[in-house]
Amino acid sequence: MDIIVVLLLFAGLFFFTGGALGILRFPDFYSRLHPAGKLDTLGLLLSLTGLALYNLHHFSVGALLTSLKIILIVVFVFLASPTATHAIVDAGIRAGLAPWTKGEERR
Amino acid sequence: MKIIGLIVAVLTGGLLVYAAEDFPAWSDPASPASTYLSPHFIEKTIEETSVPNIVTAVLADYRGFDTMFETTVIFSAGVAVFLLLRTSGPKTQQTRLYRHQLTGVTLRIKEGADLPPSDNFERIDRFWTPHDLIIKTVCRLLIPFIQLFGLYVIAHGHHSPGGGFQGGVILGASIILLAISHDLRTAVKRVAEKMDAVLCAIGVLIYAGTGALCLLLGLNFLDYKALAPVLHVDSIMARSHGILIVEIGVGIAVMFTMIWIYNNVSSGGKYNQGL
Repeated sequence: MDIIVVLLLFAGLFFFTGGALGILRFPDFYSRLHPAGKLDTLGLLLSLTGLALYNLHHFSVGALLTSLKIILIVVFVFLASPTATHAIVDAGIRAGLAPWTKGEERR
Repeated sequence: MKIIGLIVAVLTGGLLVYAAEDFPAWSDPASPASTYLSPHFIEKTIEETSVPNIVTAVLADYRGFDTMFETTVIFSAGVAVFLLLRTSGPKTQQTRLYRHQLTGVTLRIKEGADLPPSDNFERIDRFWTPHDLIIKTVCRLLIPFIQLFGLYVIAHGHHSPGGGFQGGVILGASIILLAISHDLRTAVKRVAEKMDAVLCAIGVLIYAGTGALCLLLGLNFLDYKALAPVLHVDSIMARSHGILIVEIGVGIAVMFTMIWIYNNVSSGGKYNQGL
């Protein structure tokens, strides 16, 4: 059980690190949103699932309820975060920001 | 005028700094707050009010007067934004735009002309209207859960962090999310402007009315023990229930003030289009 929790937390941290790196390294607004939206959602999914499992260590009804609440957070983040990324990209396109193409300077 | 305002602000600030000199030092164990007030709250709250969350008991019961005027401050902020920004512009615009929801075709209707008879038209704005199925659907899905959570935060203030202010803000944010993801017109159709104004006053009225009721029943203002015969509980549970009643009042006031301020600020007081 502990091994699974540690694996999940480390996998979550791996994706968070990748997301942070991507935000720093990618060349423009739209490509930066790609790690910000996707990797953060996956990282949160993995690490919160790990926490929910860890919380079940001493099994009781109260612990199960807390774990269920954590899983609910995962579900809502899974719904809301990609939608927010989508809305930001949509607003960028409407505002007339052109996507970066190969050969241009970073911005 | 500006200079007078500046002088008043500087004088008040100086006075406050001067008065702060008299405070006891940080974490002074001999200060009056630490010698009898805090121990009293920590030890007696559950006996006197049967509310496990000390913060809620202190805010809504022991210092209920303070919280009542905090609610009033929020209410007056809403009224101030309304008075400053609301303009009664021309009611009928010269041309109106409608989108046919199934095909996405946009119609421009000149003044005096009528729409083709169909229910599938939706009014849109001239400059920018979000038209995005993903955002609309997800927001429509999430808003009921957000509102449920807001009610939970208000009702659960006795046991966990939360209460009227936080829950009211969450409830208001759900309607603001509706206004952002659809448009202001959709949100105003559900929560009309008159409703905003009336309900944020009613929220304050519930709070002050509870206090006045205690006064009428023979005890001090906001002393919820007086409500015991009305609620058919003993005087300790009456304090607990009294806290819940005023938290509901705070929640209503905060929720509708948030919506009211958002509507006025986002549309510049014109209510014709939002963000």
